[in-house]
Amino acid sequence: MDASRADDRSFRRCVGWRPKGFGVYFGEQLNVSIGNVPLCLHIPEEELREKARLRYAQFLEDVPGGLPVFTNRSEPNSEHASGASANGQESAYTWQNAALRLSDAQVEFDGVRHEYGLDSLIRILLSVLLTRQRGFLLHAATVVNKGRAYIFAGRSGTGKSTVASLSPKDSVLTDEISLLKFVDDAWHAFGTPFWGEFRAKGANVHVPVAGVYFLSQASEDRVESLSARESLRAMLPNVLFFSREHEMTESLLSLASEFLGSLPCYRLFFRKDCRFWKVIAP
Amino acid sequence: MLPFVFSQGLPFLESDRAVSEERITLNPQLAWREIEGRVVVISPEDSVVHELNETASFIWKHADRGCSVSEIANLLSMEFRVEATQAKSDTEELLRMLLRKGLVTD
Repeated sequence: MDASRADDRSFRRCVGWRPKGFGVYFGEQLNVSIGNVPLCLHIPEEELREKARLRYAQFLEDVPGGLPVFTNRSEPNSEHASGASANGQESAYTWQNAALRLSDAQVEFDGVRHEYGLDSLIRILLSVLLTRQRGFLLHAATVVNKGRAYIFAGRSGTGKSTVASLSPKDSVLTDEISLLKFVDDAWHAFGTPFWGEFRAKGANVHVPVAGVYFLSQASEDRVESLSARESLRAMLPNVLFFSREHEMTESLLSLASEFLGSLPCYRLFFRKDCRFWKVIAP
Repeated sequence: MLPFVFSQGLPFLESDRAVSEERITLNPQLAWREIEGRVVVISPEDSVVHELNETASFIWKHADRGCSVSEIANLLSMEFRVEATQAKSDTEELLRMLLRKGLVTD
């Protein structure tokens, strides 16, 4: 090995560099960063940790200051309930048999039996943390075309996976849940590990948003410009939002208004083929 | 994900609850914005989104400014050129509905 490569290895040891996707778990700790939100997942169960490592392979990143997330340190208090509550400095959310408790310093996930439960709690957690960072999660597919992100929003069955499947494979950033965040003076779409039918594994990148398209399947391809109020009406039902807290709801409404006010929004009527791109980006 | 439901316009609901002549208090837990002249309200408790129509938005905004029911009815009468008694009746009926929905408090 020549001197320069040896020096390079020394440098990597000094700064704690590790190859992305391999060296960012220590014992029961798994460091991930989704939408530039760093989390230190502490997962004592080896099987669950390994599944999480595979699921979030593209998002393993050793970012300092990650919020500690401890899983299964105790049993959740309530079963079969979904909801949210706040008590002083702590917020609590329940999803099926699992529970999330969030304070300023750490997060606890209890009752996590499989990677899908973990995934759901991470989504709830992100929906809270992102609101504080000018971001939110939206039921939407994101497709990148010429360096810009096109957001296709809609509930299940409206065609998100169809849009993803009709787009070039490498252009799909996510087919189910889009992460949108204001960074560098513009709204960006981030890759997420939360995939749907298309099974896009997501890439840990972010791309400036070109526009938002609310999906309607039709017998022709056309777009209709939406007013701010129409856009808000179309978007809010698709926002992943679990909080019952006034402050959080205020923040969400502000973010949604800001987001829609700064981007072109359309209703996209489309057939189930790739010709819809001609009316979006001719 | 919690459901968001829009109330399009404001269908009048039957109610026997009396609406106070005092100033109206909007539920402080709500988040709301005026967008293109219409008020959009989110109720965090049940994650329901209410989109008020033109007259309801007018009433809402004046309630937020601290106007009483009678003051709002007078303003409504002038703005929309309706009889004072009709304006007052409509305002009270709307406020009863908002009370039932928890958007204003007693």
